[in-house]
Amino acid sequence: MISTMADHVVAIAQDMFTAMVDGESGALTDRAGEAAVLTEPVHAWVDIDGERPLRTLVATGRGTADRIARALLAMGPQDPVEQDDVRDALGEIANVIGGNVKGLLPERSALSLPVVTFDGREPAGALVWTRSLEWHHEPLVVSMWDVPLKREEQL
Amino acid sequence: MRALVIDDSRAMRRIVTRLLQDLGFVTDEAGDGAEALALLEAGTTYDLACIDWNMPVMDGLSFVYAVRERREWRGITLMMVTTESEHDQIVRALAAGAHEYLIKPFTPDALKGKLDMLGLVPARENA
Repeated sequence: MISTMADHVVAIAQDMFTAMVDGESGALTDRAGEAAVLTEPVHAWVDIDGERPLRTLVATGRGTADRIARALLAMGPQDPVEQDDVRDALGEIANVIGGNVKGLLPERSALSLPVVTFDGREPAGALVWTRSLEWHHEPLVVSMWDVPLKREEQL
Repeated sequence: MRALVIDDSRAMRRIVTRLLQDLGFVTDEAGDGAEALALLEAGTTYDLACIDWNMPVMDGLSFVYAVRERREWRGITLMMVTTESEHDQIVRALAAGAHEYLIKPFTPDALKGKLDMLGLVPARENA
């Protein structure tokens, strides 16, 4: 069940990069070997608020995040990539993945707006599964988390 | 033909705008439903609005309801362009007055196919 969901999510991410980022397939692939170490990690996520609150999270290094933003926003090679550009691009990627995950769930749920952080800390939650990928040979991680209930977060 | 692209993501607005311009549309952009309503209130006339669902300030479904309440805006074709892919959500949007529904991620051909079905590809593209 979990691997099926993870496979679906990776397929969605690959479709998205093909359609929105690269214009051709094959740039986002599974990463073999040890888990990737991200340099200056950027985390982007959306929460799916339903019977079982879930979070879909995309993480990559800042350099890769800058390149993704440059591609998504069609910026020139000399244009400076600002933090807002990365927030917009990675946030939309998290939104597309999360929205499609929401569509796979049997029960009704609601999707949050995306959150993007640059401080390197992963949000609170319990890891359900993670998949290490590569985009143009640079690490990119997609994962799903159980989200703590708001009441528990306040305790 | 003139189209309004409504999405809180600049990246997504850029992608949809570029595809529509390639098909011959003149385009404007809005970052949420309230910005889009302001453009309509200012008197700009549109043939098509491409509408994201999840946006701050005013979401896409609320925008659809607001447009459908106004007789003078009945000529605008409303197409949801969203990650909301459940059958229930599609039914809600169509019941509110949206004409079509395109799920992200989508290909250029998928967008063009929807516009063809709606009879909305500008003459330049069909020439």
